[in-house]
Order: sequence, then C-alpha cells, then structure tokens
Amino acid sequence: MFLDPILDIFRGKTITIPPLDGAYRANTALDDAPLFSDLAQADNLAILDGSLIASSDNTLCRFDAKGHAKTLAEYAAPITAIAVSASGELAVALDDGTLMIGGELCEKPDELACITALAYGSDGALWLANGSTKHPPSDWVVDLMEKNASGSVWRRKAGEFVKVAGGLAWPYGLLPDDKGNVVVSESWQHRLVRLDGGSGKITPVITHIPGYPARLSPRAGGGALMSVFAPRNRLIELVLLEKHYRADMMAEVPRRFWIAPALATGASFMEPLQIGGMKIMGVHKPWSPSRSYGMVVRLDSALQPLDSYHSRANGKRHGTCAAIEHDGRIFAASKGGNAILTLDVA
Amino acid sequence: MTLRERLHAWRYNLVPDHIIGEILEKKWTDSAIPFVVLVATVVGFGTAIPGFFSPYSLQESTRQLGEFSLVVIGMTVVMLGGGIDLAVGAIFALSAFAAIATFFIFAMPVWVACLAAVGTGVLIGAINGFLIGYIRLRAFLTTLVTLIIGRAIFEILIVNYAGKAQMSQVYSDLWDFIGDDTILGASVPVWTALIIAVVAHIALTRSRIGWHILAVGGSRRSAHNAGIQVRKMVFLTYVFSGFTSGLAGFLFATRLSGAGIGTGHGLEILALTAAVVGGNSLGGGRGSIVKGLMGAIIVLVMTNGLIRLGYGTGTNQMVLGVLLAAAVTIDIRWLKNRHKVLNEMYVAPVYLNMVDAPSAEAGSGTKYELNSKLSQARSIGLGEVEGPEDVILDRNDNLYCGTRHGEVVRFFAPDYTDWEVFAHVGGFPLGLAFDKDENLISCVGAMGLYSITPDRKVTRLTAETRRSLTSIVDDAVLRDPNDLDIAPDGKIYFTDSTKRYDAHDWTLDSIENRGTGRLLVYNPEDGSTKTLLDGYHYTNGVTIAHDKKSLLFCETWTCRIHRYWLEGPKKGKAEILIDDLPGYPDNINRASDGTYWMAWLGMRTPSFDLSLRHPDFRKRMTRRLPQDEWLFANVNNGGVVKFDDRGKILMTLGDLEGKSHPSVTSMREHKGQLFIGGILNNRIGVFDIEGADKTWTAPVDYWGEK
Repeated sequence: MFLDPILDIFRGKTITIPPLDGAYRANTALDDAPLFSDLAQADNLAILDGSLIASSDNTLCRFDAKGHAKTLAEYAAPITAIAVSASGELAVALDDGTLMIGGELCEKPDELACITALAYGSDGALWLANGSTKHPPSDWVVDLMEKNASGSVWRRKAGEFVKVAGGLAWPYGLLPDDKGNVVVSESWQHRLVRLDGGSGKITPVITHIPGYPARLSPRAGGGALMSVFAPRNRLIELVLLEKHYRADMMAEVPRRFWIAPALATGASFMEPLQIGGMKIMGVHKPWSPSRSYGMVVRLDSALQPLDSYHSRANGKRHGTCAAIEHDGRIFAASKGGNAILTLDVA
Repeated sequence: MTLRERLHAWRYNLVPDHIIGEILEKKWTDSAIPFVVLVATVVGFGTAIPGFFSPYSLQESTRQLGEFSLVVIGMTVVMLGGGIDLAVGAIFALSAFAAIATFFIFAMPVWVACLAAVGTGVLIGAINGFLIGYIRLRAFLTTLVTLIIGRAIFEILIVNYAGKAQMSQVYSDLWDFIGDDTILGASVPVWTALIIAVVAHIALTRSRIGWHILAVGGSRRSAHNAGIQVRKMVFLTYVFSGFTSGLAGFLFATRLSGAGIGTGHGLEILALTAAVVGGNSLGGGRGSIVKGLMGAIIVLVMTNGLIRLGYGTGTNQMVLGVLLAAAVTIDIRWLKNRHKVLNEMYVAPVYLNMVDAPSAEAGSGTKYELNSKLSQARSIGLGEVEGPEDVILDRNDNLYCGTRHGEVVRFFAPDYTDWEVFAHVGGFPLGLAFDKDENLISCVGAMGLYSITPDRKVTRLTAETRRSLTSIVDDAVLRDPNDLDIAPDGKIYFTDSTKRYDAHDWTLDSIENRGTGRLLVYNPEDGSTKTLLDGYHYTNGVTIAHDKKSLLFCETWTCRIHRYWLEGPKKGKAEILIDDLPGYPDNINRASDGTYWMAWLGMRTPSFDLSLRHPDFRKRMTRRLPQDEWLFANVNNGGVVKFDDRGKILMTLGDLEGKSHPSVTSMREHKGQLFIGGILNNRIGVFDIEGADKTWTAPVDYWGEK
C-alpha cells in the first residue's frame, strides 16, 4: 500500500532474505553423501599430481583414491588458501599472513595479509584474494560483524603484485577465465562479481545468493562449483542493522556465542537459539532458521546456478568452504562437519 | 551501565507501552472514530449556527431524531444480521399513511391507528424477510424492489386520499399529545426511541436471539453449522426493521397530522449512512445499537445543520455521499488490518539486567556443571504422549501426565507400557498434584484450576481471582495457570504465569519479559481464590517445603527461586532463595532426602541475556521478523537440579546431546526413581537415582499411609 513507506518508520520494515528455491532448492544430498575422509577442519581442496590434497588447520594432506590421508606438509599457522599451477607449483597462504610459492617464502606487499583464496590463471598468473585489511582470515566473523568492505583482489605475474580491485566485502573465492579476468565471490555481499583484469571494473554475475559464498572451482565441462559456507539468516541480518546491540555483543559475549554465521552449530547450549529452532516432540525442523548450513552449488557455463547439494539445519555437514570436481566426482569439504564428501556428478 | 542503557531502562520500564496493545484489544475501540466524529459534528454545527441549542430548536430536532433513530435501529439490526434494508423509506411512508387513513378517514381510535401503522410495517418487513430469509433472494435487490413498489403504492394512495384526510374533522387529545407534547421534558418519539434502543441493545448483547443474529451476520455458514436457524433469524431482522419503521411512521403522522409525496423520501439512504457512519460493519456481525444511534445523531445534525446554514439539497446529498464513502473505507481497512496492527503493537519488551550466573557448561567445574546422565533415562510412552509438562504417581505406582491435546493420561504400573486417557479436561493440563482424598488437581493452561476425582469426574475449582484496580484487560481471568501444590490444611497454592499472554504464547512472554506472574491460593472450604503475590517474571513451579512452614516457587525468566512464608514472623512475605541459576527453572518437587528437585526448561545464553538489556532491539525484532526467527533462550538443553532448604546446589543431571530430554519441565521422585517430563517432548523418562530411598513416595510424604 502507498502508506507502507510512511508506516515503516514507526513499525520497522520487514527483513527478507532470498528463499532456498529454484536452483537452490533444499535437499539432503550432502548429509546423504558417502564420506571420503573424516579430516578435521577440512578446508581447501586442490589436485596435485593427479591426487586430491586438502588442508586441515596447519596440515596439508594428500589422499589416495580410497580416502586415506598422508601428511604432505605441516606449517606454523593454519592454512587459509592453496592453489596448484598447471606446472604443478604449489602456492600456500597461512593465517599469519605468510605466502609460500613452490615451497619458498614469497615477498609481498604489506596489505596482503589476509589471503582467503588463491588461483592460477591459464596464463600462469597467480590471483590472490585478500579478505580484509583489518583482520586475519580466522577472524572472518569479526570482519563481517564490523560490516567491513576492505578486501581486495591481486594478481602476481612475473614476481610482481598488482592490486586489481579494492573495497570488496570479503572476497573469498577466485575463478580466473581465459581472457585474463576473474570471477570473485564477495561473501558479505552475497554475490559473485566479475573483475576486469585490466581496469578492475566490477560487474555482478550472481546476486542475492541465499548464503555466504566461499571458494569457486572450475567444472570439467565448463561452468563452476560454488561453495556456500553459511546461510543467510533474518535474525543475523537484523543484528547487522542493530548498531548498539551488535557493539555490546562483540564487546561482552564470547565469539562462539555471537548471533553470527558459523561453520557449525549445536556444540553448546550457550549458543543463540531462534524460536523455530526449538526441538519439539524430538524433532529439529530441517527448515528452521540456522546459523550454519552446508551448500555446494553447480553453476553452468554462463555461471548461473543449475542445482545444489545441501546439508540443512538439522544436518551435520555444515560450513562447506570448498568443493572441487575430480575424476568424475565432486569432492566437497565440510569444515564445520569435519569431513570430505564425494558426490556423483549428475 | 552506560547513560544510554540507563535511559533505555527508564524509557522501557516506566512508559507503559503495553497499554496501547491492550486498549486495541478492546471492542470499544471500534466506536472511537464515530464518537470523535459525533463530538466534532455537534460542536461544529453548534458553534456555527446561532440558536442551534435553543430549547425550541432542540425540541423539534429531537422529535425528528426520535423517529429517525427508530428507523436506524431497525436498519442496524438488519445489518448486524448480515443484510441490508432499503425498503425502510417506503415502509415509513406507507405506515404514516396507514395511521392517517385509519385515524382521519375511518375515524378510528388512536391505538387502532398505531396498530395499523405498525401492522403495515411488520407486514412489509415480513414480506422482505420471507423473500430474503426463506426464499433466499438477494437482500439488496429484494428491498430495492419493495422500496419501488411500496413507494408507488404510497404515491397512488396519497394522491387519491390526501385531500380526504385533510378535510377530516376528527380530533383527539391523545393524538395531539403524541405529536406535540412532552413527558419529563422529552417528546414521545424520543422516549419511544430510547425504550426500543434499550430493549434492542439488551436483546442483542444479552439474549439468545440477539447472539444468534450476530452469529448469522458474522458468518452464515458457521452459524448454520452451529445449529442456528439462519433463515428464521434473517426473517426476524427484517420484521423488526419493518416494526421500527412502522412505529416511526406513526409518530411522524401524529407530528404532522398529514403526509405528502415527499414523506420518507430518501430515508433509506439517510438511515444506511447513519448506521455505517456509526461504525456498524456492512459485512454484518459487528456493530451495536449505540453505534447506530451515534450515526443517527451525526447524520441528522449534519443534514439539518447544512440546511440551516443555507446549503441546498445537492450539497446535502454530496456531503452524505462523501461521509458514507469515508465510513465504508475506514470500516473495511480497519476490519482487515486491526489484527495486524494489534500483532505488531502487542509485544512491548521491558529492560532487565540479569544477575550473572556461573557457567553450567561441561568442564566448567562450577556447582551447576551439567552432564549427560539424563540421556540414560529409559523412555515411557515414546511417540505416544505429546507434551507431558508435569508427571505424577499415585499410591498404586500408576503414572499420570497431561498432554497438549487436553488429556490426562494414565500409564499403568509396573512397566508403564499400557496407558489410557484418564480424563479429558481440554486446554493444556500442566501442573499436577494429589490431594488428601486422592483427587488429581491440575493447573490447566488457558482454563484454570481443575479437580479430577478417582472415578474421573472433572470439576472446575476456580478460573478467576479478584481483578486488580489498574488492569485494562480483565486480569481476573487466569490465562496461564502453571503449577500447584497443596498445603496440609487443604489450601491449594498455585501460580498463574502471565496476565499478558495465553498459555501457548509463553515464548512471547519471555521476549517481552514484563513481570505479571502471580502466586494465588484457592481455599476449598469456601471456594475463594486470593492473589498472594503479583508482578513476578513468569511464576512457575510451586512446592510446599518439607517443614510445611513455607513454600518454594520459581520465577522462570529471571532464573530465581523464591520462598514464600506460610507461617512464622515472615508470614505472607517472599524472599529470594537462589538467584544465580544459569538455567530457566520450571517445576519444583520434593526429594526423598528432605531436599528438592527443580527442572530446567532451558539454558540462559549470553546473546539472549544481552538482548534483555536492549528492549529496543527486542521490540524491533518482534516487528521486523516473523516469530520463528526471533531470538530465544536455548530450550534445546535443560536438566534437573537438586537443592536443599538453604539453596545449596547438590546435584545436576543433564542431557547435553539433547536427544531424549532436551528441555525438562518436571520431575517426580518415586521409590528411588526419577520420572521426567517435558512440555516439548514426546516421552516421559525414568532415571534411577543412586542411593535414593526406595520406599519413599510423595503421596505418603504428603498425606501419610492409608
């Protein structure tokens, strides 16, 4: 009604979030998927010499076809991003800001201290996503609740770092194309954007994603996989608008009990609960509002969503930060669920 | 505490926002707009027209008003029944003619003239009623047809017989008295209208027939399903309308001693406008006689006033049309949006700064540290009972619990696999207790305090207490009776958790956190109910202390246990026993070793505790988010805690995984076992208590061996 904008001042505008429908229609595919490995904190995935490698906290593991893990390397800080070049060169970024390429410590600009994703382009250039200038990757939730947008995307070519674009709200996934451009998941904005490799111009690719997008990886026949590590939640959106409550919460409440997205929930009764999440008659409703979720989305060659694999509010395989296609299967890492899963390519 | 927080505490605890919601709940708010219009109209025209309130002017106006009000009362009743009567103008005219013809032409006595007028009205009303009620024609078209035919007949008659009536020499004092004189300062039409209005008001609000008419107007289908004779009720409304219009016609005839072509012309539009402007819904079922009268005054003052201010008929009609359109719009918008406004306004959170509590997390090492012992409890009635808020055992070891379907279920000892519905009470049976004579007394959510005899006879003990002086919504009603216990003298002490919400909306009460919980006592000797304490944040479990000198009750949303003294120097006073609970206490019951068990409905969370200090945040949350998304305390974990008379914590039992007993609302010790209930659960748990007295039972502890 025409009066609504006026009345909204008094009664407050309803907060809405995009629905889990269409290509994002909910299912239980991630919870039903066979377990490949119960790797704790399974995060980054890549293929090195034809076998799957994954990061788990400070450790980088290599897997055989049956899912047995072998430690490849151990680092001083948690691994935040990995990438393997066409020539087999391994790039690893750590939470303390270190970047190692081919096993060697790499000199880099000071601003590049929060590397959340790495990817090699077809021209051999290394793309780097810098989540924030204010926090390391492990403090992502603080960056979100502070509503920062200080992230940037860089390119390293012939040993030289170039900042392609700045002012991004936590870039968390990279997908370079053949033309020297890159698609970036801008997590706090719930969207994928294409950055022009030359001018740094930003054009949206997907907007209104019903969650927080993380890593991107190419699919064999064109298209891509997008991991979504947490759901959008109307209460969290409200808290993001509530300056004073949010400030007090960040100052007084331990971080794991914040009203904020999480990689996993349900570990403690001190965590916030929403009315819909109450267990009633022994049932935790799968459609209830949740702070954590698992979702891997298949994108077509135009990078539009095709379909998706989910772990819902009552599921366990939440916090899906990375997924990769290999040998005709999709491997998905659930950081919150401490697991790597395999999904058949439909 | 920052200045901002202090200001918020004042703002939200001292300004009674909740009153707006409570006032909006009142039915009389429907009349507020018409009343304002009424006052504005009277004051406006009263000041604009000199001599508007002079005695003579008033006398003439009120005479007219009396007649008009009668017509409007009829119209109102028809509208309340879901119909519309456009024929009132024609009825009015024909009745006036009938009275004049009977009196002047046939020279009959006045009472016969009156009868003729009223009879004409009733006859036409009955025709309308028959066509609309029984033949089920459309009210609008049918009464339009009777209007046209009625007026045609009237005009034929008036042309042929008006002269004859005028030349008549008939004279009667009574006729002139009715037409010109006053009784106690008011004219006969005013008295008639008043009497009819009072009778109709009482009939509509207090009698079966009136309720049936309102029910038919509200929803024909439901009224039919409820066994109401819909057709007869519709028929009667038109007969009544014919009756009042006939009466008005008779009064008109006595006042003018004649009738002309213009008699009753356009009256139906005036009456309809009056009824709607007064606030009677065109859709039927909502409205009152008083509203009709208010509308009558508004319309009449306005039309007469405009004429006296020198405006012509055209302007007059235009104003009426605009008035009608405005009234209809407001009526429809208000009807459609009233509950939305109410929903958005009702929850009015207050500020609360909770006492810090020791952590109950596993590994915290505090006195409250929870474990997973309750997950070992065996299940009774898994998937068969829903919502056993409280559980209790009788002398024969049978187990009773209430369910959310309004039943009290009995599980048979010794294995508790067979069960039966012991009694159907309705509502949501919550707290349970056995009295001396083995009657099962229950606090039934949304209903009151009930007693079930051993042979299953259900009687209501009480459902109300004395109303408090400042209440807006009637707080005599018990909205959420929650738990009870019985003192040795037979008095039943029980809690009513909130005055603001019904039992099933307990989550909303937690969001609002306004202290409106009560402790009450029911005295079976004289059947009286007395409020002992008021203003607590959700009073819940009650138990009489082992020494019977005091009782313990818990205040759920502030996580406190209180002691209320029944005798001794502090008799009638309450004091805090425990105030740093990290969980929300529910029921309290006696343990075998002279201590007590309390159930934890859920656990405090730092985010929710913080939100209690941000009432503005909670208010916006209730307005901007659907209820399922609201922040709430964590009721997916609870537990059982043992404590003694000094408030010392002795033992905790929890189910950290939350698989079998996520939220615990009650527990009863019986022969060394603990029976566990949960309002959100689909089972009862049995847990073996280590080292407990295997002979102890509550019935013996309370009432002795039998």
